[in-house]
Amino acid sequence: MGKLRGFLEYDRIDEANIPVADRVKNYKEFTVHPGEEKLQDQGARCMDCGVPFCHSGCPLGNMIPDFNDAVYQNDWQKALRILHSTNNFPEFTGRLCPAPCEAACVLGIINPPVSIEMIEKYIVERGFKEGWIQANPPKNRTGKTIAVVGSGPAGLAAAQQLNRAGHTVTVFERDEKVGGLLRYGIPDFKMEKHVIDRRISILEEEGILFKTGVEVGKNYSVEKLKDFDAVVLCGGATIRRRLPIPGAEAKGVVQAMDFLPKSNRWVDGLTNVDPELHAQGKNVIVIGGGDTGSDCIGTSNRQGAASVTNFEIMPRPADDRTTEHPWPYWPFKHKTSSSHEEGSEREFSILTKEFLTDEDGRLSGLKTVQVRWEKQDGARPKLVEEPNTEKEWPCDLALLALGFTGPEPTLAEQLGIQLDDRSNINADTKSYQTNIPHIFAAGDMRRGQSLIVWAISEGREAAYQVDKFLMGTTQLPTKTNGDLPNHP
Amino acid sequence: MIKKQGLYDPQFEHDNCGAGFICSLEGKRTNDIIHKALDILVKLEHRGAVSADGKTGDGAGILIDIPHDYLQQVCDFDLPEPTTYSLGMVFLPSKENQRQFCIDTLNNEFENQGLEVIGWREVPTNQMVVGEIAGRTLPHIEQVFVRPAEGITLNEKELNTKTFIARKIAEHKVYATKMSQASYFYLPSLSTRTLIYKGLLVPEDIERFYTDLTDKRVVTRLALVHQRFSTNTFPTWDLAQPFRYMCHNGEINTYRGNLNRMKAREELLSSDFFGDDIKSILPIVLHGKSDSASMDMVVELLLHTGRSLPEVMMMMVPEAWEKHKSMDPVKKAFYSFNSCIMEPWDGPASIPFTDGNYIGALLDRNGLRPSRYTVTKDGYVVMSSETGVTEIEPKNVAKHGRLEPGRMFLVDMNEGRIVEDKEIKGIISSKHPYQDWLDDNLLPLKNVPYTGNTTPQEETGYTQRLKGFGYTEEDIKTLIIPMMSAGKEAIGSMGTDTPLAVLSHKPQLLYNYFKQLFAQVTNPPLDGIREEIVTDTSLSIGSDYNLFSVDHVHAKKLRIQNPIISNEDLDKIKFIKHKDFISASVSVLYAIDKGYNGIEKAIENLIDKVKEKVSQGANIIILSDRGINKDLAPIPMLLACSAVHHGLIKHGLRSKFGIVIESAEPREPHHFATLFGYGASAINPYMVNEIIETLVSSQDRIQLTAEQAIENFNKAIAKGLVKVMNKIGISTLHSYRGAQIFEALGLNTKFIEQFFCNTPTRIEGIGLFEVEKEISLRHQQAFASAETDESADLEIGGSYRWRRNGEAHMLNPATIAKLQVATRQNKYESYEEFAKLVNDQSRQLMTIRGMFSFTDLDPIPIDEVEPWTAIAKRFKTGAMSLGSISEEAHETLAKAMNRIGGKSNSGEGGEDPRRFNRDEDGDWRNSAIKQVASGRFGVSSHYLANAQEIQIKMAQGAKPGEGGQLPGPKVNPYIASVRNSTPYVGLISPPPHHDIYSIEDLAQLIYDLKNANREARVNVKLVSEVGVGTIAAGVAKAKADVILISGYDGGTGASPLTSLKHAGLPWELGIAEAQQTLVLNDLRGRIVLECDGQMKTGRDVAIACLLGAEEYGFSTAPLVATGCIMMRACHLNTCPVGIATQDPELRKNFKGKPEHVVNYMHFVAEEMRSIMAQLGFKTVDEMVGQSQKLNMSDAIEHFKAKGIDLSTILHKPDVKEGTPLRNTEKQNHKLENVLDFTLISKAKNALEKLEPQTLTLPIHNTDRSVGAILSNEISKKYGAEGLPEDTLTIYFNGSAGQSFGCFATKGLHLETIGNCNDYFGKGLSGARLVARVPEGVSYKAEENIIIGNVALYGATAGEAYINGIAGERFCVRNSGATAVVEGIGDHGCEYMTGGIVVIIGDFGRNFAAGMSGGIAYLYAADGTFDERNFNMEMIGLENPSTEDLNHVEELLNNHIKYTASSKARAIIDHWEKEQKNFIKVMPTDYKKALERLAEEAKQEVN
Repeated sequence: MGKLRGFLEYDRIDEANIPVADRVKNYKEFTVHPGEEKLQDQGARCMDCGVPFCHSGCPLGNMIPDFNDAVYQNDWQKALRILHSTNNFPEFTGRLCPAPCEAACVLGIINPPVSIEMIEKYIVERGFKEGWIQANPPKNRTGKTIAVVGSGPAGLAAAQQLNRAGHTVTVFERDEKVGGLLRYGIPDFKMEKHVIDRRISILEEEGILFKTGVEVGKNYSVEKLKDFDAVVLCGGATIRRRLPIPGAEAKGVVQAMDFLPKSNRWVDGLTNVDPELHAQGKNVIVIGGGDTGSDCIGTSNRQGAASVTNFEIMPRPADDRTTEHPWPYWPFKHKTSSSHEEGSEREFSILTKEFLTDEDGRLSGLKTVQVRWEKQDGARPKLVEEPNTEKEWPCDLALLALGFTGPEPTLAEQLGIQLDDRSNINADTKSYQTNIPHIFAAGDMRRGQSLIVWAISEGREAAYQVDKFLMGTTQLPTKTNGDLPNHP
Repeated sequence: MIKKQGLYDPQFEHDNCGAGFICSLEGKRTNDIIHKALDILVKLEHRGAVSADGKTGDGAGILIDIPHDYLQQVCDFDLPEPTTYSLGMVFLPSKENQRQFCIDTLNNEFENQGLEVIGWREVPTNQMVVGEIAGRTLPHIEQVFVRPAEGITLNEKELNTKTFIARKIAEHKVYATKMSQASYFYLPSLSTRTLIYKGLLVPEDIERFYTDLTDKRVVTRLALVHQRFSTNTFPTWDLAQPFRYMCHNGEINTYRGNLNRMKAREELLSSDFFGDDIKSILPIVLHGKSDSASMDMVVELLLHTGRSLPEVMMMMVPEAWEKHKSMDPVKKAFYSFNSCIMEPWDGPASIPFTDGNYIGALLDRNGLRPSRYTVTKDGYVVMSSETGVTEIEPKNVAKHGRLEPGRMFLVDMNEGRIVEDKEIKGIISSKHPYQDWLDDNLLPLKNVPYTGNTTPQEETGYTQRLKGFGYTEEDIKTLIIPMMSAGKEAIGSMGTDTPLAVLSHKPQLLYNYFKQLFAQVTNPPLDGIREEIVTDTSLSIGSDYNLFSVDHVHAKKLRIQNPIISNEDLDKIKFIKHKDFISASVSVLYAIDKGYNGIEKAIENLIDKVKEKVSQGANIIILSDRGINKDLAPIPMLLACSAVHHGLIKHGLRSKFGIVIESAEPREPHHFATLFGYGASAINPYMVNEIIETLVSSQDRIQLTAEQAIENFNKAIAKGLVKVMNKIGISTLHSYRGAQIFEALGLNTKFIEQFFCNTPTRIEGIGLFEVEKEISLRHQQAFASAETDESADLEIGGSYRWRRNGEAHMLNPATIAKLQVATRQNKYESYEEFAKLVNDQSRQLMTIRGMFSFTDLDPIPIDEVEPWTAIAKRFKTGAMSLGSISEEAHETLAKAMNRIGGKSNSGEGGEDPRRFNRDEDGDWRNSAIKQVASGRFGVSSHYLANAQEIQIKMAQGAKPGEGGQLPGPKVNPYIASVRNSTPYVGLISPPPHHDIYSIEDLAQLIYDLKNANREARVNVKLVSEVGVGTIAAGVAKAKADVILISGYDGGTGASPLTSLKHAGLPWELGIAEAQQTLVLNDLRGRIVLECDGQMKTGRDVAIACLLGAEEYGFSTAPLVATGCIMMRACHLNTCPVGIATQDPELRKNFKGKPEHVVNYMHFVAEEMRSIMAQLGFKTVDEMVGQSQKLNMSDAIEHFKAKGIDLSTILHKPDVKEGTPLRNTEKQNHKLENVLDFTLISKAKNALEKLEPQTLTLPIHNTDRSVGAILSNEISKKYGAEGLPEDTLTIYFNGSAGQSFGCFATKGLHLETIGNCNDYFGKGLSGARLVARVPEGVSYKAEENIIIGNVALYGATAGEAYINGIAGERFCVRNSGATAVVEGIGDHGCEYMTGGIVVIIGDFGRNFAAGMSGGIAYLYAADGTFDERNFNMEMIGLENPSTEDLNHVEELLNNHIKYTASSKARAIIDHWEKEQKNFIKVMPTDYKKALERLAEEAKQEVN
């Protein structure tokens, strides 16, 4: 299957981007379709491994060798069926997933791995273009009703799966539009919002009921959830990690998750510019070197920041995989995102000690120190400040992209649901069931902040368990075991 | 006799042997013939075996004329004229009361047949000579004399028939009693002409035991002798040979099918002469006898139908007539007609036979047993397995001959002459108008008109039906597409690591519970591709008829050329309108909602329905699973087929019809093989046809029409079937049909007895209830689909390549990742995680060992357990050849194993001599184990001299019974140099070792290798299957030092997918069976037992140890440690990590280091130590075979696994205290008297001072492997270079034993003046060998055979000049020797890869099959060559160039110089004229490669 020596014949290609100068002018996606023949060649690079580690490395269990081969065979419809059989929303993951599959790709041992994510994205885009992706409502209804709380990727996946099983599903969303982090966390230049809308309209056509602007526990009583035969909590892990240092209260110290949604709403025409949450003409420092940090950089540049600097407390990773992170595990290597390309200084091993303010209480600068991590036996490495490395940075807008610490506690409190020791909702991956039998949890709300693929995977697996709980058996798919274990 | 216990079952004994006869053409009756004949056996003693008591042979005996005059004198009653009475030799119970019952019964039955007992005579015996084991079952022996009763006249033939009936009935009566010694009752002979003396004796004791034989008054014209080499030591008195009409050297592989068919034919027997008695003599074949004994019973019956003995032999062991292009049509018609009556009794066989009037012998179609004869001028004929067994003055020789494949050698005792094969067969073939009978009755399927009737379209949807029959995407992609595209079976690599069917959580097709059996040691697997002329897949269908009538009705059969039939052909059969054929379709569907009761009832109804149709006259029954829907599910077709097959045998109707299968199920060769194996005669895989049609119309990369693709698929299946048949040594589907050569794994006895009776099943398992449950699971997946279906059409699969939702695999991302981290970072914790994953997942029901738990714990501190370094010395890496893996990977393993004192294995690809010495950095790349496989690549004296252990690969776990192929592109110059072959020319390893067609041949090879290196242990590698224990016992008696039992799941560089999954069994069964059988035989102490096959953890090792293994092999896991990621692309040369590839770019990716392997072995040993500490063993030695420390895990909950019973595996034989459970002593190879030691002591000057020297000595057939020890000494001292040319010349006068000049190295000239036996010049390593006729003989050298079969097998260098004709398979796998010979038998130069052969006489049939290299020059007196005698697949025929002819001339001059050949002389004398009569046989690829090499050399110069 596949092309026998394809991996020796073709080099990896990635999606090209339009030039920085052009793309920062607007918020649109800036990737360039490589052309279908090139994609077929990329499919031909897949070696159809006896043990496809990609398939294990993908939390969804995407059947990667199989859709790669279908693409190579020019059978895009089949590729799409294979892809959709494990993944409800390849158009999201194809844009947003960091692709642990590619890290685990066997070809990656010797050459750049297969460009799996790109292939995935263009399979599904081809599907939308050709009109192959249509609503497919269930033939019969079971009469069972289900509430899904939260319309992020986990909630949407759970809702679609349960609807497919014939249940009547209502999705509650407290924001004005459906999508959760997809819509409000991800900037448009990473994923334009019509990508969400076209999928949501299919879900609606399939019979899923969306109730936006409804916050369960606030403007919708938790008591009413009792009317449903089952409830799936997919509220995400929305409590942001703070930076409790002097000056943290200063104006101009802004959470990324205030900054980005504001920008996204503005792009969507839902709101006006709030100068406090806008980077134009400002010296911006983004604290946190992750994907959210990158999104802040890209957004700041588009808003016309005077300068953008990115702080990361960890040292700069190596350019290539090191022995500490052997294949097929995540390589933790230095990565330059498209937002970084668009202009930012990057500082590593740096710790922010204090937010400096002017007399108005406005942020004026940051005080930092260089750090190093000392290894300790049997414990996490210890953070040590390097002497004589204090430095001050002029700054008008500090964006905190430090991640999330867990779900908001209110819903769990009102429902009487137990939390685990990391303040997530306590439910295991065998049943996704909380201490209240008919209430299930999935996604970041259960697992803590994680990748979109994990969210969709949890939504699907939870749906499988819910259906089994309601009906005794289930025909819904499950990915079963086979996730790559953690590297010690 | 030891009874069935544990895994030991006496029904799996095999026997092979030495046999022969002497007769006087002039009809002289002498006593001397007896002694000469018995002396033959003594001279063949190396072909027999002796039990642990050193005294009990496996049985021997002699058949002679009835010595009437002598008996007249010693009997106390009068005898009538010779041939008017019948003499019976009778074995009776030793207990008098039981004995009397037997005597009375026999007397009564004689009386009932109108016969009168003249008297009984107690046969004088000397019981002192009987061995202890034989003594335990020693019968009382008498002779009985019978004649027609007063007033009844019977001619001789009628008298024999009457005594036959009486004997049969008496036998049935006695055996029906429950008397403790009933089995003693046996009549070795009962005849008016012949008398048999036999017993559990070694040959030299026969005449000491039966004192009659030494009485000078006992005289005979003929004597037929035989001695048995059975694979274990529980032989019985009655199974000693000869039997009443024949004896047999070989093995009947089709035995089970023949028996079933015989049983079915019994329904139809009727004869006026027998009258009602015909029913009383049934069954013809008594239960529990050997294959040879059973064959004899059928021969006997057929003789009573009026056929002559030669005719019966032709019928049962026909020549390969089907594809014989030049056979006389009259003879072909005879064979064709008789094939409608009887399927071949197929297998290696040399069968001497006699009825007192005729004495003769014939050979199987493949010519797999040696049989040589000499006719003397003073009127004697001596025939035996070897030449030189009787002293005959060369001047007294009239002719030296050999039996040829399928040919009969016959002496008419009454006419006193040899009847040529052509004459006797001519007479027999023209007895009836066979061709007319065939023309008028036999209907070829292609002649049946197609009336356009078509089977209606299915109503249920395509995808649903696919799901209902369990199809996956993988089935289509991995199995069907390759077959329909290329017409060949798909290839895969690495082992299989998925659960056994009975442990799988996925619903399994019933086929998956059946494992193919295969030939190892006791008979050879075959090569149906290269030896296609003896292979046939045609079948005929229809009713059988009465064996007693010899007329046209038998030919009323429908003949199908390839019984994998298209939809159209099926329609032809379905709607056939013909007076002789009526077909009827019967559905095998049942109502799914009725569940277990439904299917049970449906099977009953099915059998009733077939019965009804057959009673109404149908003679073709079509079993169909068309029409499934949400209410109706299919009974598994295999179950339906076998149930009908066995059900109607029970009802006595099976011989009246043939079964045709119309099924959606079968999709891979194994499925088809099982269906044929359980009685089907034709199969229409309609679902596959539909899949192919869909694929062809929907996929644009497929460029075939549906018809072409279907034909390809059907062809691929037929080829796959041939492979499956060949594996067990069967050449024709006709005799494979119904032979049920499978072992069931995971099916319970009740189920097997009901539907698959006589199939071995050893660990119990599921029954019909669970089978039905699996059907309903599949049915549910097909019909109870979700409300919306968003899944891919079919399940992806995952049996061959891991998928999350597919079948579980032991090696999966998690285990591979953990193991690599552990070994690379030397992290025991990671290894522990790996081991836990492997051990746990195997406990989650994947393997048999997974179901065991340790018990009877007796913990000791771990410090008391022997260190890991001691344990690691028992570790080995598996045989992976350089070629299958890269140089880097190969050397890494060798270095690692040498570092820890374990052993790596060269594999079958030879080894670079530079690796034999240590490197400067202290590492050693020499593989401690050197493998000798069927290809013999690079096997030379020097190679063998550098081994610590020499492994004979009888079979490989991943593809037992199959050969291998290294494709040309993988043979780079380095690999070619190591394999002694030509770069870029593909290399074929034949399925069999051409010097091992039976157990005594293996003993010979062991002896050869032991001579080639006395310090090295000889290891015989077997693969687990039912009966491997008895084979191991045979191998122990053949004097192997180590026996390796491999599991079926071991890895491979390339194997047909069918073999990966469906052939062979887990090692747990094999090692336990071997251990139990060896212990029961008291042979265990002589042998080291080794085990391998997907061994990964210390727990695996511990279990193997407790079951009886003391050494352990690993292959896949160490490869994973060096970087293997189970790409399973070894066969594609694209291994991305540089292990299983020869691509120079990819090899650069190899990152493995010896320390990775060392770390792995260390970890495994440490885990083993912790288990030993728990169990309370300080050393592995204490632990071996302590199976009581294991029990079956009670945590088994799965519905299928619940029925498994592992107690047979854990059985510990109850033997005398002190019987060893592990290796305690060394084998006695008895090398002290080898002729080579004399040679060495006499040749000191040559060997030490390199001074030329000449010796002359006598030689006998008992002097075997001459030259091997001598060469070993030279190789040790002088390396591969040997001695300077012509340093040591030795002349031998007489008949040389087997393997003359084997591995003889450079500088030796070894010359036999006389003749030689088989394996002349085996592995020749540089010496010059000569065989020439003595001076003064009157016969013509070029017309007489001088050396035996399989000469120069695997020769790598040297010369041979042969002054006469050689036997079959001359120069097989020659890779470098030059030979001149004056004629050869069939299959010459097969698989040859190098060297030069000049043949100035006949060259047999199928010349140059699989010949990929080397050159042959053939001569024909008239310069014309019949192309039908060549196998043209890989060669071209050319006119030799002047350069070629000069070379030929030079070689012929050499030949004259060394042998004084008159034929060569005649050619050279007229060279101008004669040179035109030569032709050059040039392999096509070889020619291309030579051109490429020349081109490369030219470029280098430039």
